[in-house]
Amino acid sequence: MAATAFVPNGLLGSATSNTFKPNGLLSKSAVSPGNEAGEEMEAESNVFKPTGLLGTKSKSLSGQDGGSVSEDASLETQTLSELRADTQTSSFSFVPTGLLSKSTPDISRPSEEEDSSLTHTTTTGVSNNTLVLPRASVRATTFDGKTVFIKRKPKTVQLRTTAASTSDRRLDLLDEPIHRLMEKVRSKQSERVIGPSTSKSSALEDNLWVERYRPQKFTDLMGNERVARDALNWLKQWDRCVFGRTNGKKRKRDDNENDIQDPYNRPREKILLISGPPGLGKTTLAHVLAKQAGYDVLEINASDARSGQIIDDRIRPALESGYAVRGTKPLLAIIDEIDGATGAGDNSNTFVHKLVQLTLDKPKKDKHRKDKNSTRAILRPIICICNDINAASLAKLRPHAYQLRVQKPSDIHTVKRLREICETEKLRADSRALSTLVGIAKGDMRGCLNTLQFIRSRSEEITEPMVRAATKGMKEADSSVISVLNNLFIPLSKKRVKDLNDNENRYVSRLSHEVDACGRESAIATGCFAHYATLRRHDPSFSRFEKAGEWLMTFDTLSAAMYNDGDFALSPYLPYTLVPFYPLFQERGAPRIERNQDDWNNLQLTKTNEEIYRSLVRCLQVASTRNGGDFRHLVNTPILQLEFAPYINRIINPPLRPVNSQIVRPEERAVMSRLVDIMSTLELRFVQERSDDGQLSYRLDPAADVFMTYDGKRAADVTVSRYAVRHLVAEEVDARLSSRQGDIVVKDKPTKQKGLTSKQKDPDEDLPSPSKRTKTDVVDIADRPPTDFFGRPIKVSNNAASLRNGFAKKYPVTYRYKEGNSSAVRKPIKMSAFL
Amino acid sequence: MSLWVDQYRPRALDSLHYHCDLSNRLKSLAACGDFPHMLFYGPSGAGKKTRITCTLRELFGPGAEKLKIDQRVFLSPSKRKIEVNIVQSNFHIEITPSEAGNYDRLVIQELLKEIAQTQQVDLNAKQRFKVVIINEADSLSRDAQAALRRTMEKYMSNMRIILCANSTSRLIAPIKSRCLLVRVAAPNREEMQQVLQYVSRRVGFDLPPEAADKIIDDSNGNLRKAILCLEALKMQSPDLSGPLTIAKPDWETYCHKVADLIISEQSPARVMEVRQKFYELLSHCIPPTVILKTVADRVVERVDEAIKADVMHWAAVYEMRMRIGSKKIYHLEAWVVKVMSIYKHFFYDMDLSGFD
Repeated sequence: MAATAFVPNGLLGSATSNTFKPNGLLSKSAVSPGNEAGEEMEAESNVFKPTGLLGTKSKSLSGQDGGSVSEDASLETQTLSELRADTQTSSFSFVPTGLLSKSTPDISRPSEEEDSSLTHTTTTGVSNNTLVLPRASVRATTFDGKTVFIKRKPKTVQLRTTAASTSDRRLDLLDEPIHRLMEKVRSKQSERVIGPSTSKSSALEDNLWVERYRPQKFTDLMGNERVARDALNWLKQWDRCVFGRTNGKKRKRDDNENDIQDPYNRPREKILLISGPPGLGKTTLAHVLAKQAGYDVLEINASDARSGQIIDDRIRPALESGYAVRGTKPLLAIIDEIDGATGAGDNSNTFVHKLVQLTLDKPKKDKHRKDKNSTRAILRPIICICNDINAASLAKLRPHAYQLRVQKPSDIHTVKRLREICETEKLRADSRALSTLVGIAKGDMRGCLNTLQFIRSRSEEITEPMVRAATKGMKEADSSVISVLNNLFIPLSKKRVKDLNDNENRYVSRLSHEVDACGRESAIATGCFAHYATLRRHDPSFSRFEKAGEWLMTFDTLSAAMYNDGDFALSPYLPYTLVPFYPLFQERGAPRIERNQDDWNNLQLTKTNEEIYRSLVRCLQVASTRNGGDFRHLVNTPILQLEFAPYINRIINPPLRPVNSQIVRPEERAVMSRLVDIMSTLELRFVQERSDDGQLSYRLDPAADVFMTYDGKRAADVTVSRYAVRHLVAEEVDARLSSRQGDIVVKDKPTKQKGLTSKQKDPDEDLPSPSKRTKTDVVDIADRPPTDFFGRPIKVSNNAASLRNGFAKKYPVTYRYKEGNSSAVRKPIKMSAFL
Repeated sequence: MSLWVDQYRPRALDSLHYHCDLSNRLKSLAACGDFPHMLFYGPSGAGKKTRITCTLRELFGPGAEKLKIDQRVFLSPSKRKIEVNIVQSNFHIEITPSEAGNYDRLVIQELLKEIAQTQQVDLNAKQRFKVVIINEADSLSRDAQAALRRTMEKYMSNMRIILCANSTSRLIAPIKSRCLLVRVAAPNREEMQQVLQYVSRRVGFDLPPEAADKIIDDSNGNLRKAILCLEALKMQSPDLSGPLTIAKPDWETYCHKVADLIISEQSPARVMEVRQKFYELLSHCIPPTVILKTVADRVVERVDEAIKADVMHWAAVYEMRMRIGSKKIYHLEAWVVKVMSIYKHFFYDMDLSGFD
């Protein structure tokens, strides 16, 4: 009674809210504090109350049991829970109306634990009381508007009576910070837990905790519920394909969409790509899913060779058959750590490329599959797991995969799970230590567990300093380019500094380690380069920028020496050339760094343009072959880009008027013919194209006009020729080109041409060796350029050709064998052979 | 139909327009039958290759002009295919080993040995040796140059080598000492004027001397550029009347824009702007050294006398570093920052470092 009256002095935090409810305590209904924290607070509120204003009742309370407890209070090990028990009992004894006990929340602990605690406490000579409290039902409204009352289980509260502590001791509690008190409570509780779990854990002692506490069922999974659900959904979409079953209306509706594309009822994306930082349970998720959905697992991870070969050798056969060797369940391929597989580059033999091909394989329609190359469609799901979704090797996979990103679960969940584990492992852990651990590990559950196990091997208690000591190495674990860049440019937050227990001024080793651990120095350097000029904009003397430039150049010099000359001994020095960006440019509260694409875009653009230059070079080479080596001096590298490319654009873009070729002025006609000459010589042509809005336009091919286009604008002094002009030019050029092709055939290979005409008449003629027959000088019938016995080309004399022409024209042929004209072996030959 | 550059290229030593004493010397060299290895060097567009072709004609007669162009494929030790274009006549062969990139040594070794070990088969040939022309000799790698030096001595009876380079500074001394060095200087204004007039006369139009002057101004002693420019001009304004604008190559205009940006404002924002421009230039495959040189030239033109030397000095320093390094944009930007800093210090005429 007194306690409730007293609470509103505001000293007691959450306890206040509980006790504040006006009729809550009195009517036994509404209060149900959820978590343990609330419980403790409450306990404290009970404890604290007797501090002052409290009237005679509380005085009498403390007075009553004061003397008997004073020696207990002097013990250093005196814990709060006992204190709480004291107060509860004392108040209970005092106020038997049950008002106070109502405000004590139920302890969310299994009953056997309570029992154990009971037994435990009884050994210490404390008597217990159990109080069964009826609880008010909860009122709820259904969708129909009906009101429903849901009955709640009556709850049981253990009440222990013990000799209570003295009130002056309680006054001391105020000096002690709350978290210390809570630690004490927790350690007391975990002590109580130890008893029953010993037998169970001893059997499993040799396992890694990570294995021991790996979730086995879908419901065991922690955090990322949405991701898990999505993944399971995706996997369930395979059911119709794999198991042939259709269940549920919802599934059917989904399938209607898919059916259109896929004859096997497979989902649209045939690969699931799970990504996320390490230790969040991606692999576990995949395995649990497979188990849940009833698959056997074929796992490929970094320990296997992962070249394109492995797809053909292992994955494809396994998935095509669909079952493991002696398995009864269908197979599911899990490809772990796929970002380490080969896949970058244009090579078609990489792992990732082949994997994508695997899923894209069109099922062959024809029934007989005799040729080995024909492939069957893959009818089994594939799950890929990676850390870095943006890895270059995954570029091809991403568009074909259903992507899920595993996020770090909120720390509370992780801490809770860890605490449960600590309890089963009889490791005394205070929640502060655990949350510190989770904070340092950045949610990496595996890392946390390993650390805990490591600590457990030495002591039975885990405290904050121990966590800090054990996680020294974890600080530099896994860092992406972006996060390293952020660390280079943004100073650590105060909290993080404390977390890492680091001296802010000693950044060099921290940052260089981080850069080193990331392992992609050149990407970081590019990031630094992209970012530094956006910072410190008010630097009057450019001194910072100059220094930054110097460091970047040093970096570049070192890395060039490394990669060009193979001087890899230099690599340890690279990270240090990037660390100076921290003292130079760090700014508190600077915006976080985004991925900067400038350099990459430039690289892509350069590649495109190089390709255009190459096709231009090809044109020049062809022209130079045709014109006796005329253009060859323009091909060389700097001349091509610096002189030829800009001027050829001006040469082929004269300002012509779009008029009919009949009425054009003579000088314009001259320009036109010159233009057509040049363009046809260089094989530059205008290609008709339809743009997005349906407009026809002519595009230069090869697109040499990019070389006078800077910043997306064409050079001002060159007029853009009109559509009509280009049309005119294009026609002329095409005509010229096609006629030239005819010329070439006639001029260069007359014999071949005629050989072909004669050849067309009898296809079964290649039998006699052509070389012998050409020597006889009778006819040349081979369909390749005639060569003599030694492979030298032979010029067929004119009369032979004309002779053959005669053959070709009039069909009935006369033939006379010219005796003595040949020293070659004679051989009977059919007349038809010569026609 | 060729461009004017090729169409009106002189074919014989006698028809060359300038450096007549050089032509005479080449003629007498070709006549005496004791033809040495040669190294032609000089700026781009001065007429080195023209002179080489003319010398060949002098040596072997018109047969040297019957060219055949084909592609040879070499296999690198790692089984990579390297394609090299080869221009050859019966008497000579012309290669550009820099096409093979890092594998130029391989090309040099295989090709030269092959040629050097076969004798001239044509009995009517004027000379008993064949000629190998190596273009862009200054971009040959060290290894390739080393491969060349012994071959040059060993097969002297069968083969002569003519190297063609912009500067001798990147050729190793043993090669230089084995060659007769011939410098082909850029033509002066009168000579260029003469050539341009010759070309226009051959084409059949009158070129106003002022227009030719403008072209010469822009082309900076590069005759090839001048003739290309002339042709562009003729195509763009066929009647050559009225005010003529001589087209500058686009990259040059763009570089000048960059220089103007640097001078007009010195701030981090401007640095970023300039960086974008550099990216644009680099993506057009303009060699970074050329970019730096052109921008620096333009900047020097526009700044005060007192800091000209400084700007140039740093341009040289950064250009050297750029050649050593691999990420060109870093060096370009570092130079820009340096220049901005110098300019700013000069402008405010005081040491700003105290403000930091």
